[in-house]
Amino acid sequence: MTLFTIDEVRKTFKNGEVEEEILKGINLSLKEGEITALVGASGSGKSTLLTIAAGLQPATYGQVLFEEQNLMTMSTEQVRKLRASKFGFVFQFAHLVPFLTVEEQLLLMLEVADSSLKKHEQKHEVNRLLQLVGMAHRMTAYPSSLSGGEKQRVAIARAIIHQPKVLFADEPTASLDSQRSKEIMLLLRELTKTLNITTLMVTHDEEMLAYADRIIKMSDGVVLPSAMY
Amino acid sequence: MNLAWKEIKKNKVRFIILGSIIFLVSFLTFIISGLANGLSQDNAALIKDLPKGQFYMADDADGTFNLSRIDNDLQQKVMTKEKDAVAFSIQMGFLNDRDDKQQSVAFVTSTESTLFKNVHQGEVLLDSSLQDKGIQVGDTLTNNQYSGEFIVKGFVEQKKYSHAPVAYISEEAYHEMYRVNNKQLIYVPNKEPKEFKGLQAYSNKEFLNTIPSYSAEQLSLNMIIWFLVVISGMLFAIFFYMMNVQKIGLYGILKAIGLKTSKLFKMIWTQMAIITVISLFVSVSLSQLFNLVAPKGMPFTLTIATTTQLSIVFLIIGFIGATLSGIQIKKIEPLQAIQQGEA
Repeated sequence: MTLFTIDEVRKTFKNGEVEEEILKGINLSLKEGEITALVGASGSGKSTLLTIAAGLQPATYGQVLFEEQNLMTMSTEQVRKLRASKFGFVFQFAHLVPFLTVEEQLLLMLEVADSSLKKHEQKHEVNRLLQLVGMAHRMTAYPSSLSGGEKQRVAIARAIIHQPKVLFADEPTASLDSQRSKEIMLLLRELTKTLNITTLMVTHDEEMLAYADRIIKMSDGVVLPSAMY
Repeated sequence: MNLAWKEIKKNKVRFIILGSIIFLVSFLTFIISGLANGLSQDNAALIKDLPKGQFYMADDADGTFNLSRIDNDLQQKVMTKEKDAVAFSIQMGFLNDRDDKQQSVAFVTSTESTLFKNVHQGEVLLDSSLQDKGIQVGDTLTNNQYSGEFIVKGFVEQKKYSHAPVAYISEEAYHEMYRVNNKQLIYVPNKEPKEFKGLQAYSNKEFLNTIPSYSAEQLSLNMIIWFLVVISGMLFAIFFYMMNVQKIGLYGILKAIGLKTSKLFKMIWTQMAIITVISLFVSVSLSQLFNLVAPKGMPFTLTIATTTQLSIVFLIIGFIGATLSGIQIKKIEPLQAIQQGEA
């Protein structure tokens, strides 16, 4: 079932007097429980497309439809609420809050998402999810004492603790070594399937494409039709 | 979740440094303020301790009470109309103690009143600072311009004028010493100014400013205090700004995952309030302790009211500083923070 539709999205940046079109009319739909990988050379527009889809920046033209609501016509506050409750984010770097423990990182996300769970239920949920990503034993650790792979696992747990409908992952393995990258991708795939999350992932690492259900290749601001599979 | 407190707990050193700066600046301000008040008391406690009212001096004295001579009939007229009025004079002079050592004093004499001390002829009532210099009750003191002797009748607390201890003497002794039969001033407590022909009215504050050196001294000290307040305000703003700039990446990520900007503002305001209140509590306590243990010869007066007023000013300044630096937060684009990399 289609959950997310990107319709004729264009993005233009002004560089001094010159206008540069980064996205030239992108059409895309994302299905529930699928990992869609966006690949392409640097400057192809894949990261820009992901951030527009995630409501982190507006498109110059076009629609981004999520559950039949157009993100482009929503207010900043409406988009924030949507990001907090329905979207999850995993970035190239874990970007954990340095003064919160692993457990608190996840509890904060539940608070941001206005979770209806009671305190003890929240703690239980955090524990369950940390077990799922194999980090339950580091619950009280601060980010400074975690390895890169551990941080990314916590970042993934934080991204899905509030049961988002869509997970946006921007180069989630770029800062990790090959072994850790595979572990993280396996984890992402498993969670996507188990929790029925729609995942849109940007990557430049061809090895990671093996974990995607669908691969979309972009070049010079357009989707290459022949490269959609 | 109390993000503000959690960050303080985790980054103790950073917040202790910020708190130390607030403590040092506020402590310095309190000490200077104590000295300013102390000097002010030392200069004019005799006048400052009087309730709000009106001072009258001869209008031809042109605001210099030393030159004022109020006609006796006019004085009588005013005092008949104003029952609580008191006429008085002040002159600087010397008293010779039993070792013939000269002590600089401000001689004060007045008509009968509860606001000034009245003594019989041949008696003197002194400020207690002279007791510390070895003068005792019953001692006999002399003055070169006075034919008789003064017997020390007792001491009064904190009565100074022009940085000299006050010596209350009788009207007769004063008239003999300074060869005048008139008083310089009339004071009417708790009243609005009235028109008396030949007299000029001054409020307590206006009268204090006619005292030579008082306004110049206070102006300089108040300038120092307010400069310190302004400088501390700028320090607050700069430190909070620097702290926030370091955390721009973090704020961007928090905004990206959906945290409200208002929550981030609440976080920096809470941190500012916690650090400022703790720092001010320490500096108020220490400055009040200093008030108790300050050397007797040091003019230092710091009331709780003054420290409370200054503390409120510091809190307001801290709030403005934190808010100004917080404006950065409002401008942060989550996208920028994500692209910046790990904080």
